[in-house]
Amino acid sequence: MKINMKKFADWFDDRLALTPIFKYMTHKEVPQHEHSIWYYTGSSILLFLFIQIITGIMLALYYQPTLEGATSSIERIMTELPLGWLVRSVHSWTATFMIAFVMIHLLAIWFTKSYRKPREATWMTGMMLLVVSMMFGFTGYLLPWDDLSLAATKVGTNIPAAIPVVGKWVTQFLRGGDDVTGDTLTRFFIFHVCLMPLIIFAVLAVHILLVQKEGMSVPLKDELAKKKVPSLPFWPNFVLREVVIWLLLFGILLTISLAFAPSLGPTADLMAPAPEGVKPEWYFLFLFQTLKIFPANMGPVTGEFVAVLIIVITVVIIFFLPFIDNKPETKKGKVFTYLGVIGVVYAIVFSIWSLL
Amino acid sequence: MRLDNPYFTRRKFLNSLLGGWLGAVAASFISPIVKFVWPPYKEPDEVKLVFADYSGMQPGEVKNFVWGVKPGLLKRAQDGSFIAMVGVCTHLDCNVQWMPDKKQFFCACHDGWYDENGTNIAGPPPKPLRRLETSVEGEDLFVRKPGVGATT
Repeated sequence: MKINMKKFADWFDDRLALTPIFKYMTHKEVPQHEHSIWYYTGSSILLFLFIQIITGIMLALYYQPTLEGATSSIERIMTELPLGWLVRSVHSWTATFMIAFVMIHLLAIWFTKSYRKPREATWMTGMMLLVVSMMFGFTGYLLPWDDLSLAATKVGTNIPAAIPVVGKWVTQFLRGGDDVTGDTLTRFFIFHVCLMPLIIFAVLAVHILLVQKEGMSVPLKDELAKKKVPSLPFWPNFVLREVVIWLLLFGILLTISLAFAPSLGPTADLMAPAPEGVKPEWYFLFLFQTLKIFPANMGPVTGEFVAVLIIVITVVIIFFLPFIDNKPETKKGKVFTYLGVIGVVYAIVFSIWSLL
Repeated sequence: MRLDNPYFTRRKFLNSLLGGWLGAVAASFISPIVKFVWPPYKEPDEVKLVFADYSGMQPGEVKNFVWGVKPGLLKRAQDGSFIAMVGVCTHLDCNVQWMPDKKQFFCACHDGWYDENGTNIAGPPPKPLRRLETSVEGEDLFVRKPGVGATT
Protein backbone atom coordinates (compact mmCIF):
# COMPACT_ATOMS: atom_id res chain seq x y z
CA MET A 1 0.00 0.00 0.00
CA LYS A 2 1.31 3.39 -0.87
CA ILE A 3 0.88 6.01 1.78
CA ASN A 4 0.21 9.44 0.49
CA MET A 5 2.38 11.59 2.77
CA LYS A 6 0.97 14.78 1.39
CA LYS A 7 -2.55 13.73 2.29
CA PHE A 8 -1.37 12.68 5.74
CA ALA A 9 0.29 16.06 6.34
CA ASP A 10 -2.75 17.89 5.02
CA TRP A 11 -5.00 16.03 7.42
CA PHE A 12 -2.90 17.17 10.38
CA ASP A 13 -2.66 20.69 9.11
CA ASP A 14 -6.42 20.86 8.73
CA ARG A 15 -6.79 19.98 12.40
CA LEU A 16 -3.82 21.76 13.97
CA ALA A 17 -3.22 24.64 11.55
CA LEU A 18 0.56 24.59 12.01
CA THR A 19 1.49 25.93 8.58
CA PRO A 20 1.73 29.56 9.73
CA ILE A 21 4.34 28.55 12.33
CA PHE A 22 6.50 26.75 9.75
CA LYS A 23 6.03 29.64 7.38
CA TYR A 24 7.13 32.04 10.09
CA MET A 25 10.25 29.97 10.78
CA THR A 26 11.31 30.01 7.14
CA HIS A 27 10.70 33.73 6.80
CA LYS A 28 12.29 34.75 10.08
CA GLU A 29 15.52 36.72 9.65
CA VAL A 30 18.36 36.95 12.14
CA PRO A 31 20.38 40.19 11.98
CA GLN A 32 24.12 39.87 11.46
CA HIS A 33 26.42 42.34 13.22
CA GLU A 34 29.38 42.43 15.60
CA HIS A 35 27.25 41.27 18.57
CA SER A 36 25.39 38.45 16.78
CA ILE A 37 27.38 35.81 18.65
CA TRP A 38 25.27 36.44 21.78
CA TYR A 39 22.14 35.28 19.94
CA TYR A 40 23.49 31.74 20.25
CA THR A 41 23.47 31.80 24.07
CA GLY A 42 19.67 31.53 24.13
CA SER A 43 19.48 28.36 22.08
CA SER A 44 22.43 26.91 24.02
CA ILE A 45 20.40 27.28 27.21
CA LEU A 46 17.56 25.39 25.50
CA LEU A 47 20.00 22.60 24.65
CA PHE A 48 21.08 22.37 28.31
CA LEU A 49 17.47 22.39 29.47
CA PHE A 50 16.74 19.53 27.09
CA ILE A 51 19.72 17.53 28.45
CA GLN A 52 18.51 18.23 32.01
CA ILE A 53 15.04 16.91 31.22
CA ILE A 54 16.38 13.68 29.67
CA THR A 55 19.03 12.96 32.32
CA GLY A 56 16.70 14.14 35.10
CA ILE A 57 13.99 11.68 34.11
CA MET A 58 16.60 8.93 33.90
CA LEU A 59 17.90 9.67 37.41
CA ALA A 60 14.36 9.94 38.82
CA LEU A 61 13.65 6.35 37.69
CA TYR A 62 15.97 5.09 40.44
CA TYR A 63 16.33 7.94 42.92
CA GLN A 64 14.47 7.68 46.24
CA PRO A 65 13.67 10.94 48.02
CA THR A 66 13.73 9.61 51.58
CA LEU A 67 16.13 9.84 54.52
CA GLU A 68 17.04 6.18 54.22
CA GLY A 69 17.05 5.89 50.47
CA ALA A 70 18.52 9.08 49.06
CA THR A 71 22.27 8.56 49.37
CA SER A 72 22.13 4.81 48.85
CA SER A 73 19.95 5.13 45.74
CA ILE A 74 22.48 7.55 44.22
CA GLU A 75 25.25 5.16 45.19
CA ARG A 76 23.33 2.48 43.32
CA ILE A 77 22.86 4.73 40.28
CA MET A 78 26.58 5.41 40.24
CA THR A 79 27.89 1.91 40.84
CA GLU A 80 25.32 -0.58 39.53
CA LEU A 81 23.45 1.01 36.66
CA PRO A 82 25.12 1.01 33.24
CA LEU A 83 26.73 4.43 32.76
CA GLY A 84 24.75 5.69 35.77
CA TRP A 85 27.76 7.63 37.04
CA LEU A 86 27.94 9.43 33.70
CA VAL A 87 24.22 10.26 33.69
CA ARG A 88 24.58 11.86 37.12
CA SER A 89 27.76 13.61 36.10
CA VAL A 90 26.16 15.05 32.96
CA HIS A 91 23.12 16.18 34.96
CA SER A 92 25.32 17.89 37.54
CA TRP A 93 27.64 19.51 34.97
CA THR A 94 24.80 20.61 32.72
CA ALA A 95 23.36 22.50 35.71
CA THR A 96 26.61 24.43 35.91
CA PHE A 97 26.70 25.05 32.16
CA MET A 98 23.07 26.09 32.07
CA ILE A 99 23.39 28.63 34.86
CA ALA A 100 26.66 29.95 33.41
CA PHE A 101 24.98 30.46 30.06
CA VAL A 102 21.91 32.06 31.62
CA MET A 103 24.27 34.56 33.25
CA ILE A 104 26.19 35.18 30.02
CA HIS A 105 22.87 35.58 28.18
CA LEU A 106 21.74 38.12 30.78
CA LEU A 107 25.00 40.08 30.72
CA ALA A 108 25.06 40.19 26.92
CA ILE A 109 21.57 41.71 26.96
CA TRP A 110 22.57 44.04 29.76
CA PHE A 111 25.59 45.42 27.89
CA THR A 112 23.93 45.62 24.48
CA LYS A 113 20.88 47.16 26.22
CA SER A 114 18.57 44.87 24.29
CA TYR A 115 16.03 45.12 27.12
CA ARG A 116 15.03 48.58 25.91
CA LYS A 117 11.53 49.21 24.64
CA PRO A 118 9.69 47.10 23.41
CA ARG A 119 11.52 44.17 25.07
CA GLU A 120 10.93 44.98 28.76
CA ALA A 121 8.67 41.97 29.33
CA THR A 122 11.19 39.68 27.65
CA TRP A 123 13.82 40.87 30.14
CA MET A 124 11.49 40.40 33.11
CA THR A 125 10.52 36.85 32.11
CA GLY A 126 14.24 36.24 31.57
CA MET A 127 14.97 37.36 35.15
CA MET A 128 12.28 34.96 36.36
CA LEU A 129 13.98 32.18 34.41
CA LEU A 130 17.31 33.04 36.05
CA VAL A 131 15.75 32.81 39.51
CA VAL A 132 13.99 29.53 38.64
CA SER A 133 17.24 28.11 37.22
CA MET A 134 19.04 28.97 40.46
CA MET A 135 16.22 27.40 42.45
CA PHE A 136 16.59 24.26 40.35
CA GLY A 137 20.25 24.23 41.33
CA PHE A 138 19.49 24.88 44.99
CA THR A 139 16.85 22.15 45.33
CA GLY A 140 18.91 19.69 43.31
CA TYR A 141 21.93 20.24 45.52
CA LEU A 142 20.14 18.74 48.54
CA LEU A 143 18.94 15.57 46.81
CA PRO A 144 22.15 13.50 47.29
CA TRP A 145 21.56 14.10 51.03
CA ASP A 146 25.22 14.05 52.00
CA ASP A 147 26.76 16.10 54.80
CA LEU A 148 27.68 19.10 52.65
CA SER A 149 24.31 19.34 50.94
CA LEU A 150 22.51 19.22 54.29
CA ALA A 151 24.54 22.08 55.76
CA ALA A 152 24.16 24.18 52.60
CA THR A 153 20.39 23.64 52.65
CA LYS A 154 20.12 24.56 56.32
CA VAL A 155 21.85 27.86 55.62
CA GLY A 156 20.00 28.53 52.38
CA THR A 157 16.53 27.86 53.74
CA ASN A 158 17.22 29.94 56.85
CA ILE A 159 18.07 33.06 54.86
CA PRO A 160 14.42 34.09 54.16
CA ALA A 161 13.76 33.96 57.93
CA ALA A 162 15.75 37.20 58.25
CA ILE A 163 12.91 39.03 56.49
CA PRO A 164 10.35 40.30 59.03
CA VAL A 165 6.76 39.00 59.08
CA VAL A 166 6.70 36.73 56.01
CA GLY A 167 10.25 35.36 56.26
CA LYS A 168 9.56 32.73 58.91
CA TRP A 169 6.65 31.48 56.83
CA VAL A 170 8.80 31.10 53.73
CA THR A 171 11.41 29.16 55.67
CA GLN A 172 8.74 26.83 57.07
CA PHE A 173 7.31 26.37 53.60
CA LEU A 174 10.69 25.49 52.13
CA ARG A 175 11.61 23.14 54.98
CA GLY A 176 8.22 21.61 55.62
CA GLY A 177 8.50 22.63 59.27
CA ASP A 178 10.84 24.56 61.51
CA ASP A 179 13.85 22.39 60.75
CA VAL A 180 15.47 20.59 57.86
CA THR A 181 14.25 17.00 58.08
CA GLY A 182 13.25 14.13 55.82
CA ASP A 183 10.18 16.19 54.89
CA THR A 184 12.49 18.84 53.45
CA LEU A 185 14.15 16.24 51.23
CA THR A 186 10.82 14.98 49.86
CA ARG A 187 9.63 18.54 49.40
CA PHE A 188 12.77 19.61 47.55
CA PHE A 189 12.43 16.59 45.29
CA ILE A 190 8.86 17.57 44.40
CA PHE A 191 9.91 21.19 43.83
CA HIS A 192 12.77 19.99 41.64
CA VAL A 193 10.89 17.48 39.49
CA CYS A 194 7.31 18.75 39.48
CA LEU A 195 6.64 22.29 40.62
CA MET A 196 9.61 24.07 39.07
CA PRO A 197 9.43 22.31 35.70
CA LEU A 198 5.83 23.54 35.46
CA ILE A 199 6.95 27.07 36.28
CA ILE A 200 9.93 27.04 33.94
CA PHE A 201 7.85 25.76 31.01
CA ALA A 202 5.17 28.39 31.54
CA VAL A 203 7.60 31.30 31.84
CA LEU A 204 9.82 29.99 29.05
CA ALA A 205 6.84 29.75 26.72
CA VAL A 206 6.05 33.43 27.29
CA HIS A 207 9.75 34.35 26.98
CA ILE A 208 10.19 32.59 23.63
CA LEU A 209 6.89 33.87 22.33
CA LEU A 210 7.96 37.44 23.15
CA VAL A 211 11.30 36.91 21.39
CA GLN A 212 9.40 35.78 18.27
CA LYS A 213 6.90 38.61 18.53
CA GLU A 214 9.50 41.38 18.82
CA GLY A 215 12.16 39.77 16.65
CA MET A 216 15.87 39.91 17.44
CA SER A 217 17.16 43.25 18.66
CA VAL A 218 19.82 45.09 16.68
CA PRO A 219 22.68 47.11 18.19
CA LEU A 220 21.59 50.41 19.71
CA LYS A 221 23.69 52.57 17.39
CA ASP A 222 22.28 50.86 14.28
CA GLU A 223 18.77 51.32 15.60
CA LEU A 224 19.36 55.01 16.28
CA ALA A 225 20.94 55.50 12.84
CA LYS A 226 17.99 53.61 11.35
CA LYS A 227 20.57 51.53 9.52
CA LYS A 228 19.41 48.39 7.73
CA VAL A 229 21.38 45.57 9.32
CA PRO A 230 22.18 42.61 7.04
CA SER A 231 20.50 39.41 8.09
CA LEU A 232 20.54 35.65 7.76
CA PRO A 233 17.49 33.42 7.22
CA PHE A 234 16.61 31.59 10.46
CA TRP A 235 15.94 28.39 8.52
CA PRO A 236 18.19 26.79 7.46
CA ASN A 237 21.24 29.09 7.72
CA PHE A 238 21.00 30.19 11.34
CA VAL A 239 19.77 26.82 12.61
CA LEU A 240 22.72 25.10 10.94
CA ARG A 241 25.12 27.39 12.83
CA GLU A 242 23.22 26.72 16.05
CA VAL A 243 23.51 22.97 15.55
CA VAL A 244 27.28 23.29 15.11
CA ILE A 245 27.48 25.18 18.40
CA TRP A 246 25.22 22.63 20.11
CA LEU A 247 27.43 19.75 19.07
CA LEU A 248 30.52 21.63 20.17
CA LEU A 249 29.02 22.44 23.57
CA PHE A 250 27.76 18.89 24.01
CA GLY A 251 31.25 17.60 23.25
CA ILE A 252 32.81 19.89 25.84
CA LEU A 253 30.13 19.00 28.37
CA LEU A 254 30.59 15.27 27.87
CA THR A 255 34.38 15.53 28.10
CA ILE A 256 34.23 17.41 31.38
CA SER A 257 31.56 15.03 32.74
CA LEU A 258 33.74 12.04 31.91
CA ALA A 259 36.81 13.53 33.55
CA PHE A 260 35.27 15.14 36.63
CA ALA A 261 32.32 13.12 37.89
CA PRO A 262 30.81 14.50 41.12
CA SER A 263 31.51 12.60 44.30
CA LEU A 264 29.09 11.52 47.00
CA GLY A 265 29.81 12.35 50.64
CA PRO A 266 28.70 10.37 53.69
CA THR A 267 24.93 10.29 54.34
CA ALA A 268 23.75 13.42 56.11
CA ASP A 269 23.27 13.08 59.85
CA LEU A 270 20.82 15.60 61.34
CA MET A 271 22.66 15.45 64.68
CA ALA A 272 26.21 15.79 63.38
CA PRO A 273 28.03 19.12 63.53
CA ALA A 274 28.34 21.00 60.26
CA PRO A 275 31.37 19.76 58.32
CA GLU A 276 34.31 22.05 57.61
CA GLY A 277 34.34 23.78 54.26
CA VAL A 278 30.58 24.12 53.78
CA LYS A 279 30.15 25.84 50.44
CA PRO A 280 27.15 26.30 48.23
CA GLU A 281 27.27 25.79 44.47
CA TRP A 282 29.61 28.22 42.68
CA TYR A 283 26.77 30.49 41.54
CA PHE A 284 25.79 31.22 45.14
CA LEU A 285 29.35 31.84 46.37
CA PHE A 286 29.25 35.62 46.06
CA LEU A 287 25.98 35.74 48.00
CA PHE A 288 27.47 33.36 50.59
CA GLN A 289 30.48 35.67 50.99
CA THR A 290 28.22 38.74 51.18
CA LEU A 291 26.33 37.16 54.09
CA LYS A 292 29.61 36.33 55.78
CA ILE A 293 31.06 39.86 55.85
CA PHE A 294 28.09 41.46 57.61
CA PRO A 295 28.53 41.77 61.38
CA ALA A 296 26.18 39.99 63.76
CA ASN A 297 24.22 43.10 64.70
CA MET A 298 23.85 46.46 63.04
CA GLY A 299 22.08 48.76 65.44
CA PRO A 300 18.60 47.46 66.17
CA VAL A 301 18.62 44.78 63.43
CA THR A 302 20.79 41.78 62.60
CA GLY A 303 23.48 42.07 59.96
CA GLU A 304 21.87 39.16 58.17
CA PHE A 305 18.67 41.17 57.72
CA VAL A 306 20.58 44.09 56.22
CA ALA A 307 22.43 41.74 53.86
CA VAL A 308 19.22 40.00 52.75
CA LEU A 309 17.51 43.36 52.30
CA ILE A 310 20.31 44.63 50.05
CA ILE A 311 20.20 41.43 47.98
CA VAL A 312 16.40 41.58 47.59
CA ILE A 313 16.47 45.27 46.60
CA THR A 314 19.21 44.59 44.05
CA VAL A 315 17.23 41.77 42.46
CA VAL A 316 14.10 43.94 42.30
CA ILE A 317 16.08 46.79 40.66
CA ILE A 318 17.54 44.40 38.08
CA PHE A 319 14.07 42.98 37.42
CA PHE A 320 12.74 46.46 36.61
CA LEU A 321 15.95 47.60 34.89
CA PRO A 322 14.30 48.32 31.49
CA PHE A 323 12.08 50.91 33.18
CA ILE A 324 14.89 52.47 35.20
CA ASP A 325 17.38 52.56 32.33
CA ASN A 326 14.78 53.91 29.92
CA LYS A 327 17.07 56.24 27.96
CA PRO A 328 19.89 53.89 27.03
CA GLU A 329 21.52 56.22 24.51
CA THR A 330 22.05 59.00 27.09
CA LYS A 331 24.54 59.45 29.91
CA LYS A 332 22.12 57.67 32.27
CA GLY A 333 22.35 54.59 30.06
CA LYS A 334 26.14 54.62 30.40
CA VAL A 335 25.81 54.64 34.18
CA PHE A 336 23.90 51.35 34.05
CA THR A 337 26.52 49.82 31.79
CA TYR A 338 29.18 50.70 34.37
CA LEU A 339 26.97 49.39 37.18
CA GLY A 340 26.81 46.12 35.26
CA VAL A 341 30.62 46.01 35.10
CA ILE A 342 30.85 46.75 38.81
CA GLY A 343 28.34 43.96 39.50
CA VAL A 344 30.36 41.44 37.51
CA VAL A 345 33.62 42.45 39.21
CA TYR A 346 31.92 42.27 42.61
CA ALA A 347 30.55 38.77 41.91
CA ILE A 348 33.92 37.48 40.68
CA VAL A 349 35.96 39.03 43.51
CA PHE A 350 33.55 37.84 46.20
CA SER A 351 33.38 34.33 44.70
CA ILE A 352 37.17 34.03 44.71
CA TRP A 353 37.36 35.53 48.22
CA SER A 354 34.92 32.92 49.54
CA LEU A 355 37.23 30.17 48.29
CA LEU A 356 40.34 31.52 50.03
CA MET B 1 -36.38 49.14 33.10
CA ARG B 2 -33.75 49.64 30.42
CA LEU B 3 -31.62 52.77 30.59
CA ASP B 4 -30.32 54.37 27.43
CA ASN B 5 -26.75 54.71 28.71
CA PRO B 6 -26.44 52.44 31.69
CA TYR B 7 -23.12 52.76 33.55
CA PHE B 8 -23.48 49.24 34.77
CA THR B 9 -25.08 46.92 32.28
CA ARG B 10 -26.92 43.75 33.17
CA ARG B 11 -24.11 41.78 31.46
CA LYS B 12 -21.46 43.50 33.57
CA PHE B 13 -23.48 42.86 36.73
CA LEU B 14 -23.92 39.17 35.97
CA ASN B 15 -20.27 38.81 34.96
CA SER B 16 -19.05 40.26 38.23
CA LEU B 17 -21.56 38.15 40.15
CA LEU B 18 -20.32 34.97 38.51
CA GLY B 19 -16.69 36.06 38.69
CA GLY B 20 -16.95 37.02 42.33
CA TRP B 21 -18.66 33.77 43.16
CA LEU B 22 -15.95 31.73 41.38
CA GLY B 23 -13.31 33.74 43.23
CA ALA B 24 -14.97 33.06 46.57
CA VAL B 25 -15.20 29.34 45.84
CA ALA B 26 -11.50 29.27 44.90
CA ALA B 27 -10.57 31.23 48.03
CA SER B 28 -12.42 28.77 50.25
CA PHE B 29 -10.06 26.05 49.07
CA ILE B 30 -6.93 28.04 49.91
CA SER B 31 -7.09 27.71 53.69
CA PRO B 32 -7.09 23.87 53.80
CA ILE B 33 -4.34 23.77 51.17
CA VAL B 34 -2.17 26.18 53.14
CA LYS B 35 -2.76 24.23 56.34
CA PHE B 36 -1.65 21.06 54.60
CA VAL B 37 1.46 22.60 53.03
CA TRP B 38 2.70 24.18 56.28
CA PRO B 39 2.78 21.11 58.49
CA PRO B 40 2.07 21.19 62.20
CA TYR B 41 5.31 20.65 64.03
CA LYS B 42 6.13 21.29 67.62
CA GLU B 43 9.50 21.29 69.22
CA PRO B 44 9.49 18.92 72.20
CA ASP B 45 8.61 20.51 75.53
CA GLU B 46 10.96 18.14 77.25
CA VAL B 47 13.12 15.10 76.63
CA LYS B 48 13.90 12.41 79.14
CA LEU B 49 17.47 11.12 79.26
CA VAL B 50 18.94 8.31 81.35
CA PHE B 51 20.85 10.04 84.12
CA ALA B 52 23.39 7.21 84.37
CA ASP B 53 24.61 8.05 80.83
CA TYR B 54 25.64 11.52 81.96
CA SER B 55 26.38 11.18 85.68
CA GLY B 56 30.02 10.32 85.03
CA MET B 57 30.78 13.57 83.21
CA GLN B 58 33.65 15.65 84.52
CA PRO B 59 33.11 19.37 85.18
CA GLY B 60 33.65 21.19 81.90
CA GLU B 61 32.85 18.13 79.79
CA VAL B 62 30.27 18.40 76.99
CA LYS B 63 28.06 15.61 75.67
CA ASN B 64 25.38 15.52 72.97
CA PHE B 65 21.77 14.52 73.32
CA VAL B 66 18.84 14.43 70.91
CA TRP B 67 16.50 17.43 71.14
CA GLY B 68 13.65 16.61 68.73
CA VAL B 69 15.24 16.73 65.31
CA LYS B 70 18.16 18.87 66.50
CA PRO B 71 21.29 18.14 68.47
CA GLY B 72 21.36 19.28 72.08
CA LEU B 73 24.51 19.97 74.07
CA LEU B 74 24.82 19.08 77.73
CA LYS B 75 27.65 20.59 79.72
CA ARG B 76 28.66 19.80 83.27
CA ALA B 77 29.35 22.98 85.19
CA GLN B 78 32.07 23.34 87.83
CA ASP B 79 29.52 22.89 90.64
CA GLY B 80 28.34 19.59 89.13
CA SER B 81 25.07 20.92 87.75
CA PHE B 82 24.10 20.55 84.11
CA ILE B 83 23.74 23.27 81.50
CA ALA B 84 21.74 22.34 78.40
CA MET B 85 21.79 24.21 75.10
CA VAL B 86 20.36 23.67 71.65
CA GLY B 87 23.38 22.89 69.50
CA VAL B 88 22.25 24.98 66.57
CA CYS B 89 24.04 28.14 65.50
CA THR B 90 21.94 31.28 65.99
CA HIS B 91 23.25 32.72 62.73
CA LEU B 92 21.96 30.41 60.02
CA ASP B 93 20.99 27.17 61.76
CA CYS B 94 24.04 24.96 61.22
CA ASN B 95 24.89 22.42 63.90
CA VAL B 96 27.74 23.58 66.13
CA GLN B 97 30.45 21.43 67.66
CA TRP B 98 32.39 21.49 70.92
CA MET B 99 36.10 22.15 70.58
CA PRO B 100 37.50 20.65 73.82
CA ASP B 101 41.03 22.09 73.51
CA LYS B 102 39.75 25.63 72.94
CA LYS B 103 36.81 25.24 75.34
CA GLN B 104 34.56 26.88 72.76
CA PHE B 105 31.67 25.94 70.51
CA PHE B 106 32.36 26.30 66.81
CA CYS B 107 30.11 26.57 63.75
CA ALA B 108 31.90 25.59 60.56
CA CYS B 109 29.40 27.17 58.17
CA HIS B 110 30.38 30.81 58.64
CA ASP B 111 33.14 30.59 61.24
CA GLY B 112 31.03 31.39 64.30
CA TRP B 113 32.38 30.98 67.86
CA TYR B 114 30.72 30.70 71.27
CA ASP B 115 32.42 30.45 74.66
CA GLU B 116 31.89 27.47 76.95
CA ASN B 117 28.66 28.98 78.29
CA GLY B 118 27.25 29.38 74.81
CA THR B 119 27.78 33.15 74.58
CA ASN B 120 28.56 34.34 71.06
CA ILE B 121 32.10 35.74 71.02
CA ALA B 122 33.26 35.85 67.41
CA GLY B 123 31.97 35.66 63.86
CA PRO B 124 28.46 36.32 62.63
CA PRO B 125 26.25 34.73 65.35
CA PRO B 126 23.93 37.45 66.70
CA LYS B 127 22.80 35.68 69.87
CA PRO B 128 24.05 33.13 72.43
CA LEU B 129 23.13 29.48 71.96
CA ARG B 130 19.59 28.82 73.16
CA ARG B 131 19.49 27.59 76.77
CA LEU B 132 17.31 24.78 78.05
CA GLU B 133 16.56 23.85 81.64
CA THR B 134 17.70 20.63 83.25
CA SER B 135 16.61 18.70 86.28
CA VAL B 136 17.63 15.36 87.71
CA GLU B 137 14.62 13.41 88.93
CA GLY B 138 15.53 9.99 90.30
CA GLU B 139 16.95 7.87 87.48
CA ASP B 140 16.10 10.41 84.85
CA LEU B 141 17.65 13.59 83.56
CA PHE B 142 15.03 15.92 82.11
CA VAL B 143 15.82 18.66 79.62
CA ARG B 144 13.01 21.19 79.25
CA LYS B 145 12.13 24.29 77.36
CA PRO B 146 12.41 27.24 79.77
CA GLY B 147 9.14 27.99 81.48
CA VAL B 148 7.47 24.69 80.66
CA GLY B 149 7.91 23.09 84.07
CA ALA B 150 7.56 19.42 84.94
CA THR B 151 4.84 17.68 82.95
CA THR B 152 5.06 14.32 84.71
